[in-house]
Amino acid sequence: MSVTYLEAIREAQTYLLREDKRVFIYGQDIAGKFGGAFKATKGLAEQFPGRVLNTPISEDAMVGTAIGAAMEGMRPIVEMQFADFSSIALNQILNNAGTQYWRTQVPCPITIRLPSGGTKGSGPFHSQSMEGIYSHYPGLVVLTPATVEDAYTMLIDAVAIDDPVIYCEHKYLYYHLKADALPKDRLPIGKARVVRPGRDLSIVTNSAMVHEALAVAQQFSADGIEIEVVDLRSVKPLDTDTVLASVARTGRLLCVGEAFPWGGVTAEVIARVTTEGFHLLDAAPARINAKDTPIPYHPNLWSEHRPNAKTIAAKVRQVLAE
Amino acid sequence: MPKIPITMPQLGESMAEATIVAIKVQPGDKVSADQEIIEVETDKAVMGVTTPCAGEIAKIDAEVKGTYAVGSVLGYVEASEADAARFQKRAPEPPKGDMAQEVPGREEESAKAVKTENGSGSHFQVDEAGLPPVAAGSHFQVDAAGVLPVPAGTKGAGYLSPRVRARMLELQLTQADLAGIAGSGNAGRVTIKDLENFLGGIEGQPAEKPSAIRTGVADAMRRSWTRPLATVGLSICLDPVLEDRAKRDPKPGPALYALRALALALAEQPNAAARLIGGRAIRSESIDIGVAVEAQDGIMVPVIRNADKTSLADLTGRYTELVDLARRRRLTGDMTSGGIASISNFGTFGLEWGTPIPLPDQTLLLGMGMGKKVPWWNETKSEFVPRTEAQLTLSFDHRSLDGGGAGRLLKRVVELLGEPSKL
Amino acid sequence: MLQTAERGASKSKKAPHKKYLEAFRIMLQTRVFEEKLASLYRGGMITGGVYLGKGQEAVSVACGLFLQKGDVFAPLIRDQAGRSAFGEPLLDVARTYLGSRQGPMRGRDGNIHRGCPKAGQLAMISHLGAMISVVVGKLLAKRMKGEKGFVGLTTIGEGGMQTGATHEGMNIAAVERVPLVVVATNNHYAYSTPNDRQFGCADLVDRAKGYGYEGSSVDGTDLAACLEVISAAVKRARAGRPPQLVVASTLRLAGHGEHDDASYVTDDIRREPFAQDALQRTEQFILEQELMDREALQQMRVEIAAEVDEAVATAQQEDTPVGSEEDWCAISTRELADQIP
Repeated sequence: MSVTYLEAIREAQTYLLREDKRVFIYGQDIAGKFGGAFKATKGLAEQFPGRVLNTPISEDAMVGTAIGAAMEGMRPIVEMQFADFSSIALNQILNNAGTQYWRTQVPCPITIRLPSGGTKGSGPFHSQSMEGIYSHYPGLVVLTPATVEDAYTMLIDAVAIDDPVIYCEHKYLYYHLKADALPKDRLPIGKARVVRPGRDLSIVTNSAMVHEALAVAQQFSADGIEIEVVDLRSVKPLDTDTVLASVARTGRLLCVGEAFPWGGVTAEVIARVTTEGFHLLDAAPARINAKDTPIPYHPNLWSEHRPNAKTIAAKVRQVLAE
Repeated sequence: MPKIPITMPQLGESMAEATIVAIKVQPGDKVSADQEIIEVETDKAVMGVTTPCAGEIAKIDAEVKGTYAVGSVLGYVEASEADAARFQKRAPEPPKGDMAQEVPGREEESAKAVKTENGSGSHFQVDEAGLPPVAAGSHFQVDAAGVLPVPAGTKGAGYLSPRVRARMLELQLTQADLAGIAGSGNAGRVTIKDLENFLGGIEGQPAEKPSAIRTGVADAMRRSWTRPLATVGLSICLDPVLEDRAKRDPKPGPALYALRALALALAEQPNAAARLIGGRAIRSESIDIGVAVEAQDGIMVPVIRNADKTSLADLTGRYTELVDLARRRRLTGDMTSGGIASISNFGTFGLEWGTPIPLPDQTLLLGMGMGKKVPWWNETKSEFVPRTEAQLTLSFDHRSLDGGGAGRLLKRVVELLGEPSKL
Repeated sequence: MLQTAERGASKSKKAPHKKYLEAFRIMLQTRVFEEKLASLYRGGMITGGVYLGKGQEAVSVACGLFLQKGDVFAPLIRDQAGRSAFGEPLLDVARTYLGSRQGPMRGRDGNIHRGCPKAGQLAMISHLGAMISVVVGKLLAKRMKGEKGFVGLTTIGEGGMQTGATHEGMNIAAVERVPLVVVATNNHYAYSTPNDRQFGCADLVDRAKGYGYEGSSVDGTDLAACLEVISAAVKRARAGRPPQLVVASTLRLAGHGEHDDASYVTDDIRREPFAQDALQRTEQFILEQELMDREALQQMRVEIAAEVDEAVATAQQEDTPVGSEEDWCAISTRELADQIP
C-alpha cells in the first residue's frame, strides 16, 4: 500500500473530523460527490454530514466566516481552490485573522489550505506560491510541507494551533509524491529538517523545491561534492538555528524558492544567515527563485520560469567556484 | 495654584501644525472646562481649541497669525488643586526622542511654544560646502558618467571570506601566516577548506611555542612590512672614527658614532623622520634614537633620548647601561618606545650590507656593515692605499621620504662621521 | 440609572414603545459623552481620532437595545449609542479614548475599533464590510454547537454597502441562513461623498430582495420608528426568518471625524426631513407627550453629566501603556513566535 501527498491531506482531514468535533471544512466545491477541485475532501461530506460545507465563490466571506466560527470555539479548515485566489481574502486573513489575538486576546484558530505552486499549463493565476506574503504579516503561522509525512502530521498540528495557520500544500506533489504508509512520528511545527547531510554547500529550500534540490545533490555527489539539503517545513516561524548549523558545516549557502524573487523566504533566510552567521560564510550566499514575471502558461516557458535542477546546479557551481 | 498647559491639539492624523486665527481670552479671564478659547486653522478647517479644565487664564504664549506645531504650549490655565490632580498621571515616563507628540498634562513641564517658520531648511539639506571636492579629471574616470570600473570578480587571491577571517581571528593567524597556502578558490583565493587543509598539514610537524620576544618582533615586522620600504647605501671610511675612538675613554663603539651623527643630521633635517599618518606628517618633539640590540631569540631596541643634545661621551655611558639591561631582559616599556629612528649595527654579525626594516612606528633605520680594510685609490698619490671601509645604509618609508631626501640625510651623516672629534 | 426615567414617566402618558425612555436616556448620554470627547479632542487630550454618531443615535441605540446575552453585535464607527445599549461600560470607552492601559484594547488598537468579543461585541477593523462574514461565522458556529435563539446584528453605512466584502458577507449569510440583521444607515455622506457617487439604485433596501433578505426602511430621526422596525427585524431573524436588511435614513450631523468640518454638506440637504436631529426630536416628543417633565429631564442631564465626568476623570488618571513593558507577541502560541534576529 502506498499513500500520495494528496491522500495524506485527505487522511489528515478525516482524522481531524473524526477526532475533533470542533473541526469543519469550508470551501468551494468540496462537498457532495465532487469532493474538491483536487479531491482533497472526496468522500468526507458523506462521512461527516454537515461538517464539509460548500461555499459561494466568496473568498473574503469564506475566511471571514471561518474567523467568526473560530472565535466562537470552532476549528475551521478553509480550502482555497487555488492559493492564487486567497488574494481575494487577503484583507480577512491579514487584517482580521492576523490581528485578532493581538487586539482582543481572543485566539483565532483557523487553518487555510492553499493549493500552491506550479504545474504544467496552469498559468499565471493557478500557480502561485504565496508563503512570502503571508509570512510578511504578523499574527500568522505559515507552513509548507514538502513530504507525504509532513503533509499529514503538519495539517493535524496546524488545526491544533490556537492561531491562524496558512498551510501551503504543493499541487505538483499531490500525485507525484508517494510514501509507503502514513507516518507514526512527527517533527514539531517550527523545526526545519536536514533531509540530506552534506559537507560542501547547504541548499535551504521548502515545498516542491526540496525535491529539485535533492536531485541536484544526487547529481553532484557523483563528482564527490556533498550538498546538504535543508527543508524549512515551516516558513514562519523560521528555524534559523537549523539553517545556521547547516551553514556552519558547509560554509556555503544557496537558497531555492519557487516564489517570485523580490523579498520572500530566500531573502529572509539569507538576511538571517548574514546577520547571525556572517563568520560562517566562506562565499557570498546566493539564491534562486522564479523569474520576476507572471507565471507562464506553456510548459516550455513554465519550466524555465521556476528554478529547476539545471538552473539550481548552475548556481551551485557558481557558489562552489567562489 | 497649579498651572495646566493649553496645547495645540492634533486635529487630524496628518496635521503637524496649525495657524492661530483668533484668541478669545486674555490673562486673568475666568474660563470653564471645554470652553473654546483659541481658533486655529489647519489645511482642512477652522476649529476651536478648548481649555483643559476650568480656571483662570494665567498666560497666553501664542500670537494670532503664528503657526505652532502640534503639542506646543499655547498658554496656561491656573486651575484648582482638584482639577489639576486629574492631570497627575501615574504613567511611567515615556521614552524620549522620536516619539509622537505628548498628550498635554502627561508631563509636568511641557515644551515651551515652538513657533515653526515657513521655508525653514529641510533636515535633509546637505551643506555642500562641507563635502570633499570631487577630483577633476581623475584617471579612474573611464566613461562620460564618471563611473569607476567595477572589477568582474572581487574575490581574487587577496580576498578572505568572513569565515576564513573569523577562523584566523580565532587562531590568531595573520595574513602573512597564510603565505604558504596556494588558494584553490576563484583567482587563487584561500577558501576555508584550503585553510583547514593547511592547518591539518602542519599539524603533524614538530612545533614549539615561540618566545614572547620572537612573537613581538614578528608582529612588529609584519606591521612594518605593510609600508613601501626602500634602502639607499654609501661606503664610508671608518679610519677617522677608529682614530678618535682610540683617544676616548670609555670607548664608544662605531655604531654609537653613527647614532650621534644621525641625531645631529636629523636636528638639521627634522622632516626626514616625519611619520605620515592620515595625510599628516607627524614630527617628534625630541630626537630620540633607538639601538637594535640582539638579545636571546630576538631583537630589542632601547631608545636613547635627546641624542642630538647629548655628547658622545655621555651617550656611551647610557648606551652601555641600556645594552646591559636589554641583554638581561630588564628593559621597561618606556625605554623602548618613542624613538624616531634607529640604528642597526649588523656589521657585528660579520655582514657587510643589508636592507633592514624600520620599526613600524618609525620612518628611518640606519644600518652599519662590518668594517674591513680595502685598497682605496688615492688620486693625489696616484696609488692604492689601505683604509677601513664600511657600508652605511638608510632604510626608509618611501611614503614619507624619497631617494634624494634619504640620500641627503645619509650624506650628511657620512660628513659628520668624517670629523668624529666634533661629535 | 433607569429610575429617573421611570420616575419621570410615572405620571405621564404611555410611551410609543416600552423601551422608548430607556433608549432616550442612552441617546442623551451618548450625545453628552461624544460632545465631551470632541471637546477633549480639541483640547489635545485624545490619542488618535474622534468619530461621532451625532444624528444617528436613534438608529444606533435601537441596534443594541434588542440584543441579549449570547447574541453577536458588530458595531461600526458611529455606534456609541448602540454599544452602550448593548452593555458596554462607559469607562471602557473613556479608557480607550484617553489612552489608559486598562482599556479593552490596552493601547493596541484605538477608540472606535474597541470591542470585547467575549461579551459578544466584535472589534471592528477599518475595512468596511469585513465584519459581516465574521458575524456569520459566529452564528454558524453557535448553530453547530447547538445553541438556540441567538441573533447577530451588524451595522453598515451607505458607503460601506458598496464594498465587495459587504456583498460577499451579505450573500453568504443568506446562503447559510443564519439569523443576521444588517442595519444600514444612509447618513448621506461617505466621508465627503454624497449618495449619487456611491450607488445607482433607487433605494438601498431594494437590494434585500436580491440577497434573499427581508427588507425594511425606517426614518432614522424617529426613535419610535427605529425601535419598532429594528426590534421587529431582530425578532424575525431570531424566529428563523431569512436575514434582515434595515435601511435607515439620517444626516450625519458632524464631520466624518472631528478633524473634518463637513463644509461640503449642502444647505439643501440640511433642510431635508432626514436632516432633523433625532435627539432633539425625541426630547421634544417626550415633553409634548408629557412622558417626562422638564424637571425630570434636567435631573437626567445632571446625572448623565456626572457619569460622563466620572468615567473621563477615572480614565484620565490611569497609567498609559509602556512600550518596554508590552508583550510584543502577535500570536497566542508563544513557542511558535518567530525569533527575528
